[in-house]
Amino acid sequence: MRWLKEVFLNFKRTDFMSLVSVGTIALAILALGGYYLINQTLNYIITKVEQKVEVVVFLHDGFDPQKAQQMVSDAKQIDGVDDVMFVSKADAYNNFIKDPDMHDIMKSFDGNPLPDSITVKLRDYTKETLAGVVKFFNAREGVEDIQYGGAEIENLIKIVSAIKLIVGIAGIIFAVAALLVVSNIIRLTVYARRQDIYIFRMIGASESFIRVPFIIEGIIHGFLGGFIGWGLLYTIVNVLINEIRKQTGMDFSGFYLFTPDYFNVRFMLSSIAAGSGLGLFGALFSQGRFFK
Amino acid sequence: MIKFNHVYKIYEKDIKALDDLSFSVEKGEFVFLTGPSGAGKTTVFNLLYREDIPDMGTILVENSDIAHLARSRVPYYRRRIGFVFQDFKLLFDRSIFDNIALPLVLTSTAPEFIYKTVNDAIKRIGLEGREDVDPWHLSGGEKQKVALARAVILNPPFIMADEPTGNLDEENAWQIMTMLDELNRAGTTVMVASHNRDIVTRMGKRVIRLERGKAVE
Repeated sequence: MRWLKEVFLNFKRTDFMSLVSVGTIALAILALGGYYLINQTLNYIITKVEQKVEVVVFLHDGFDPQKAQQMVSDAKQIDGVDDVMFVSKADAYNNFIKDPDMHDIMKSFDGNPLPDSITVKLRDYTKETLAGVVKFFNAREGVEDIQYGGAEIENLIKIVSAIKLIVGIAGIIFAVAALLVVSNIIRLTVYARRQDIYIFRMIGASESFIRVPFIIEGIIHGFLGGFIGWGLLYTIVNVLINEIRKQTGMDFSGFYLFTPDYFNVRFMLSSIAAGSGLGLFGALFSQGRFFK
Repeated sequence: MIKFNHVYKIYEKDIKALDDLSFSVEKGEFVFLTGPSGAGKTTVFNLLYREDIPDMGTILVENSDIAHLARSRVPYYRRRIGFVFQDFKLLFDRSIFDNIALPLVLTSTAPEFIYKTVNDAIKRIGLEGREDVDPWHLSGGEKQKVALARAVILNPPFIMADEPTGNLDEENAWQIMTMLDELNRAGTTVMVASHNRDIVTRMGKRVIRLERGKAVE
């Protein structure tokens, strides 16, 4: 109770600076929360794309089906491979003509132009797994060509990594800036109250009696900043979801990151915790000069 | 009660704030510390506040060498001393009641006890009915009375007053000195630094005169 009274007095004395401190933490939480959402969304997209990566091995026309089956059995032993299927040229043709666009194209050929093939699904998409599969089939007799979307995936990963790096750096810069601003504002509060601190000391106040209100003040700044930061992010995300729905008809409100359970509860609590943490560390960093 | 034993304090090269200062104050005594500016009065008080420690010599307060007090024990030491300053050192953003109550709050005293004790103190200094007033609205004499009430609220065995009448008119100065005298008669040891020769003479108490960091009684 006594500490809350001291915190209230500090707020009263430094109302504008307190607002700046809360505002900076709110912006930092907005940036860090934005970074987290973008990062999670990009990871989600990459995972989904990676799950679709298949290696297709085309075999020479007339290759012995028994040898092909043997190759399928052997390929299943490769690390990181989920499933290996032999697709005969007849099955491939039947699949193709089911597609209305391909139907006419396939009918324009004399007979079946497609080769027998083996489709390899990967359990974990990694460069090493992909290289292992390619190396395995390259060394086999009867392989005409190996196709996979590796280059496209690599490019996508590079772009996504660059975006994540930029957003991450922005988040870190905001967090450090918030830490410095909170720290300096609390230092100014301490400076403004240096005479009071001297009096407290003279009448026998312990260090914790003097310091704890400033630490609580930092945490309260962080709590409010965290909540406001989350509120800003919530507003921005909802405006974007509505705009995207209006413009493209796509509805992202069901995306796991934006479900009420996640975004309204867990994300809010995390934002408040992160903001309070920033406020706490800012306050602890400020406890230097005037407390010596 | 207090014993300065060959104390030296040197702030800069060749400038001795205290130069082999020795004196003692017995329990229950009332002592004036006088001397011109720069004689070392403030240094004596700073050492007794435990704001500073001597470069040489020992300072015993209640038989403890305060230079060797652990930092964590200093607040407890200060709670046994009532400090009164020339510029009052009140907290101007809280009421008279809160100012006087502060030492009790520090010691986690029960709120009911704080309420009763502080109101009694306010009554004794004649500010009854003005408990919630900020110190801004008080005269110099009233401010010093509030400061004195705060200094004695924990019943300390020792009061140190640094020029307590320096900012007061004669009537208020005399009232403050009378209050200090009453506290002394009740058993509290009192040490007052003062420039006011008239008050020192009229009080008729023991005087320790400092000159260039040495005691000339």
